[in-house]
Amino acid sequence: MTVAPASGNDTAQSRPVPEGHVRLTIDGIEVDAPQGELVIRTAERLGIVIPRFCDHPLLDPAGACRQCLVEVEVNGKPMPKPAASCTTAVADGMVVRTQQTSQVADKAQQGVMELLLINHPLDCPICDKGGECPLQNQALKHGRGDSRFVDTKRTFPKPVSISSQILLDRERCVLCQRCTRFSKQIAGDPFIELLERGATQQIGTGEQQPFQSYFSGNTIQICPVGALTSAAYRFRSRPFDLVSTPGVCEHCSSGCSQRTDWRRGKVMRRLAGEDPEVNEEWNCDKGRFAFRYATASDRITRPMVRDADSGELRETSWTEALRKAADGLLNARDSRGVGVLPGGRLTREDAYAYGKFARVALGTNDIDHRARPHSNEELDFLGSSVVGTGPEDGVSYASLEAAPAVLCVAFEPEEESPIVFLRLRKAARDSGTRVFHLGQWDSPGVEKTTHIADSGSPIHSGGLLRCLPGGEAAALYELPSEVEQALGEPGSVLLLGERCSQVSGVYTAAMRLAERTGARIAWIPRRAGERGAVEAGTLPTLLPNGRPVSDSVVRSGIERAWGMSTGSLPSVPGRDIDGILAAAESGELSGLLVGGLDPADLPDPEQARRALRAAGFLVSLELRPTGVTEHADVVLPIAPTVEKSGTFLNWEGRPREFEITIEGTGAVPDCRVLDTLAVEMDVDLFTQTPQAVAAEIRRLGPNPGARPKPPDIPAEPVTEPSGDRALLASWRHLLDNGSMQHDEPNLAGTARPPVARVSHGTARRLGLEPHQPIRVSTERGTIALESEVVEIPDGVVWLPGNSGPAEVNEVLGVGHGAVVGIAAGTAPAPGTTPGQREPGGEELPAVAGNGHTSNGHGPPAHGSNGNGQAGIDGGGA
Amino acid sequence: MTEANAPDGTAREAAGSPLTPVLTRRWLSPESWSLRTYEQLEGYTALRTALSLHPDQLTELVKAAGLRGRGGAGFPSGVKWGFMPKDRSRPHYLVINADEGEPGTCKDVPLMMADPHSLLEGCVIAAYAMRANNCMIYVRGEALHCIRRLHHAVREAYEAGYLGENILDSGFDLDVVVHAGAGAYICGEETALLDSLEGKRGQPRLKPPFPAQAGLYSSPTTVNNVETIASVPHIVNGGSDWFRGMGREKSPGPKIFSLSGHVERPGQYEAPLGTTLRELLELAGGMKDGIPLKFWTPGGSSTPLFTADHLDVPLDFEGAAEAGSMLGTTALMIFNETVSVPWAVMKWTQFYEHESCGKCTPCREGCFWLAQVLERMVQGRGTEQDIDTLLDVCDNVLGRSFCALGDGAVSPITSGIKYFREEFLALCESNRGQDTTEEPALAGVAR
Amino acid sequence: MGMTDPLKGFGVTLSKMFKTVLTEEYPEVKKIPAPRFHGKHQLNRHPDGLEKCVGCELCAWACPADAIFVEGGTNTDDERYSPGERYGFDYQINYLRCIGCGLCIEACPTRALTMTNEYETADDNRQNLIYTKEDLLAPLLPGMEQPPHDMRLGDDEQDYYVNGPELARGQGVPAGATVETGDEEAVR
Repeated sequence: MTVAPASGNDTAQSRPVPEGHVRLTIDGIEVDAPQGELVIRTAERLGIVIPRFCDHPLLDPAGACRQCLVEVEVNGKPMPKPAASCTTAVADGMVVRTQQTSQVADKAQQGVMELLLINHPLDCPICDKGGECPLQNQALKHGRGDSRFVDTKRTFPKPVSISSQILLDRERCVLCQRCTRFSKQIAGDPFIELLERGATQQIGTGEQQPFQSYFSGNTIQICPVGALTSAAYRFRSRPFDLVSTPGVCEHCSSGCSQRTDWRRGKVMRRLAGEDPEVNEEWNCDKGRFAFRYATASDRITRPMVRDADSGELRETSWTEALRKAADGLLNARDSRGVGVLPGGRLTREDAYAYGKFARVALGTNDIDHRARPHSNEELDFLGSSVVGTGPEDGVSYASLEAAPAVLCVAFEPEEESPIVFLRLRKAARDSGTRVFHLGQWDSPGVEKTTHIADSGSPIHSGGLLRCLPGGEAAALYELPSEVEQALGEPGSVLLLGERCSQVSGVYTAAMRLAERTGARIAWIPRRAGERGAVEAGTLPTLLPNGRPVSDSVVRSGIERAWGMSTGSLPSVPGRDIDGILAAAESGELSGLLVGGLDPADLPDPEQARRALRAAGFLVSLELRPTGVTEHADVVLPIAPTVEKSGTFLNWEGRPREFEITIEGTGAVPDCRVLDTLAVEMDVDLFTQTPQAVAAEIRRLGPNPGARPKPPDIPAEPVTEPSGDRALLASWRHLLDNGSMQHDEPNLAGTARPPVARVSHGTARRLGLEPHQPIRVSTERGTIALESEVVEIPDGVVWLPGNSGPAEVNEVLGVGHGAVVGIAAGTAPAPGTTPGQREPGGEELPAVAGNGHTSNGHGPPAHGSNGNGQAGIDGGGA
Repeated sequence: MTEANAPDGTAREAAGSPLTPVLTRRWLSPESWSLRTYEQLEGYTALRTALSLHPDQLTELVKAAGLRGRGGAGFPSGVKWGFMPKDRSRPHYLVINADEGEPGTCKDVPLMMADPHSLLEGCVIAAYAMRANNCMIYVRGEALHCIRRLHHAVREAYEAGYLGENILDSGFDLDVVVHAGAGAYICGEETALLDSLEGKRGQPRLKPPFPAQAGLYSSPTTVNNVETIASVPHIVNGGSDWFRGMGREKSPGPKIFSLSGHVERPGQYEAPLGTTLRELLELAGGMKDGIPLKFWTPGGSSTPLFTADHLDVPLDFEGAAEAGSMLGTTALMIFNETVSVPWAVMKWTQFYEHESCGKCTPCREGCFWLAQVLERMVQGRGTEQDIDTLLDVCDNVLGRSFCALGDGAVSPITSGIKYFREEFLALCESNRGQDTTEEPALAGVAR
Repeated sequence: MGMTDPLKGFGVTLSKMFKTVLTEEYPEVKKIPAPRFHGKHQLNRHPDGLEKCVGCELCAWACPADAIFVEGGTNTDDERYSPGERYGFDYQINYLRCIGCGLCIEACPTRALTMTNEYETADDNRQNLIYTKEDLLAPLLPGMEQPPHDMRLGDDEQDYYVNGPELARGQGVPAGATVETGDEEAVR
């Protein structure tokens, strides 16, 4: 943008208008603006702030509030009425006069402000938005001192809870439609809509719409008044008493920038931060609302050691705990060795400390952070194709948006990485990206990235490629030609999810597909720490920054950097997590060092617990008690994300650095604990602070040697089981039983109800009535869950991974792709349908079903939609 | 209003009317709504002519005839048709706005009741001219009888081959859908009507894109009023010069004037544009019971009021505008001396408060406020200050709202105060001198 | 030192016996400060005993000494402390920091916070000088009832704010009698 003062006309005349730009005048200032830009934005770039409510840069213009009226002159002709600057695009030779230079615009804005206020209640003192309220600010800035309105205000019962998390105050609402537009256009969850008309127009909920959204919290943040407030934050504090600290979300690998608001050492709320490269201005409800785990009453704040006499853990001093831990680990190391399980939620710096601790202090490569189902194929894939890439040279959010086609392989974006989902949806909606999903059923996330019907004509693109669970690899070799062709267009992307590690041959198949089509591959893990841990070298085959353990040149480089004697770095690739646990159980390892990890997350929790029990010496670094704590000999407390600094690498490989939000709590990060522990063991890690670690990682630089070889595993055929057997498909919901959602009842209320999904054919085979529970069992145990019939291949049952009673790993001991037994369960007791909304607040008038579900109203002449559901149903074999 | 109220053509000629009826000429024929009667009276002859022409010739013909939209705004129809893209890459739609909601307006419903086939014939010609193969007629949901008759007419036309595939062996296909609205004034606004047709909430859309680029289902669409389309067959048969022979230079053609209120014979009177109320009153037998005229609306309640001083204003688009009002839908509501202007204005404002769609602030909140102030005034609790407040709020709504509903809502108030301020003042008489600045306990919360 | 010096001392004593005594007989006789003296704060009540404080924190915001801490809470139908949605769940004034400026009572939108003439805010330990809600709440006058309880005077908070005292009189409180705390005489 170039700003030229009005006086400099001579030079301005000679200065050419840049390509694709127009030249206009706003309040006497001549400015060049890109074609199609809205006047309100151009003015903002000049520092002229036009008041507004409905306008939001990431939502389609609405022009509803009329607060941003300005006087416009086009081609020397003044327009007859003031124009809304949020819907008027710039034009060459346009002359705009805002409230600063135009009486008309100023009067119009004051008039609209007065009209907005006549029905607005005077409850700013009790309103959660008070103090940070655009309406309050603008009323004080542009409004009248007193009201001419002496009649009766419109009132509504208030507040009503439109979900367990969101409260609606219809009196405060200025009907700007930001929330409804967000939920329709961005999230694709039209769970709120406008109802009624005229002065009684109000926001309400749909009668036949599922009443939940993973992104509902954003509506609170973009509400320009206090109409939408959060149940969790309700009346907790006022903005002027809060300290806002920028941070990074620790939940998933999306890497959202966020703002943490806290006071007196306690986090009060979290908001989405602004980062156009990553999360734009959005985040998911988990990132926004799940933070009280860090202040849970059972948080471990002091070191504990197991009392030799009583066998119980007792609190003790750091000195004693570290001494005991060091002694125990030294003994175990010198006996048969120690395995390290850091877990997938660490910062890159903390992970690096674990990796260095394992290699330097424990002299082993037996380290694996993948506290989930995993495979050796994945290990090879990570080493050959993932480590060392970043948003500059790999796949980024921007490349998703620019991609002509995206194929999600065993990846459920809405559940596993919600911001990736939002970006895919945006791509499908605005840039015509075709999003394909290789999965089992039309989950909401699939639906919302392939069928978009908010405004204008509905978009149907991409689609679901159905396959049997476990048949993903085979399906990748037999993609419909339409999909293969789409992926062949330059810029297309393959997204591989965590579930790929449960299907043999998927990584190989995906890499072959990428070679065939030229599409690029990105790996999107579920946990925030996984990507950073891969870089930091907490894998049995990888040293920091992707250096393969097996390369002797690379090893000697690391030995020099770490100040170790030549040949002292273990040269044999270590055991993976299964191997470590098996070895601990059988006594091949005599000690374990365990980070943030819950046995229930592991593929076989029972085996994990046996191993923890059998381990000769167990040190646990934890925030809160888990299944590890009860077996630990020494428990060392560590800091939660909010009390430490560090870096998460998001799925792109983009470093997301954050500083300490709440200082002075005395909690220390893992890297500091490990450093001190190492000192007790007479080893120097130099990982005292995350800053020091980050500097060391920078110094090490990228892998100077060759990348490890990519995996080469053939796809295994899968056959559809018959009778009372079925193939299990399973992935986790975003909101589930996870321990980091502890103590968030309002958030939990918006979780998707756990139901088992089967096909019509399977239901008939079992004689299932609608909603009748289905029993899914293995030798280990049985999960009984309400059933729902969906379009899913016959002989497949889908279970949520960790929701309600459906704790698949824990109860069944198997995962995605396994063969399980199915049977009809006993009919549910009436009125106990899971997932029913808690009654709360006033009843809302509900819109009758078809009011806003316009996806069924396609134009007759459009004929059938062209989505790519070219079935490969039952594929695999 | 039914066809029984339609004017007697011969009677009118006897009264020295300057015009032979055009749009209403079949209204009094027996079973005028049936295809048989219609065909007997030159029905579907224009269609044969039209289908032999090139679509663009038809658009040019309508342009040459100077036909202007009869829905209120008076936009030249030929120009509007010309906005439609010529290529057929996307489906084109013709939408007929039969959501006659403007208070006082009752011309489209009688037309569709008495002569539905003239509308259908117009639809086929217009759709052919615009290369549209789908036509929707969006009828006001309350007009149930009318909807039935339209359905019947559409069925007859399909059976006779005037609709459907390959109409009259021309190779042109057209499907007509009669859609009943659910009763919202705003759905008479063309983009709100399109949203409503799509099954969405009826609220006006942002323009641009205009319907000709992205209308129904984001496809090129033209929305025309019933009377506009029903005029088309006559233009095709009579030619543009014949059409221009009626009315005035810039507003040619015949127009159905709906006279209601305090006149001897209320009803539909077809006369050329530019006819004055004085002439129309003569046709309608003068003021009821001889009580003198006090005020009237030239085109429904959304157009500023006229008084007895405006009896000789030529009722065409320019004439009404020059006199400070608008032609609107030529719904002439005539009020005699017995009617209180503030009361009438209050009733209209209550209508707008009820019908404001709620999308934009000025119209939603403004109508809510104006209605309350007027109700208070009519109850005798108003003050002189309220009149200033009314005018200032009207100023804050006029031209500030999203669509024209807000503009229409304030016009009876501003024009009412302009011509009859003393009546508003009289209502405040009892409160004169009272301290109006008394603070309520909490400003704005007195309740 | 001269011979008469001791006598001079007696002279001073003698002369003082005929002048006004400046000594305060505190604490036996308590001094009554000026009516608008900025003393200890008080959290007032509505005529039925419900609290006026809505926990808005405006007092804390206004406080130049950061002496006030407030946290709001949600009233429910079962547990109601004030009319309306919100009440002051936690209310603390730190008298070690309070400078008695009175900006807090000017900021209060419901006139829940006022200052009394009570000046005895001294203690021998710092902890006791952080006054909590229990210490600050006005005593119950006749006709008042200890919250939590339902709104006795109206259907919503507007009734309380717009015409609370009249409603109280409607319930039998005689005219002229103080029906809500907040007026200084109610405390005296």
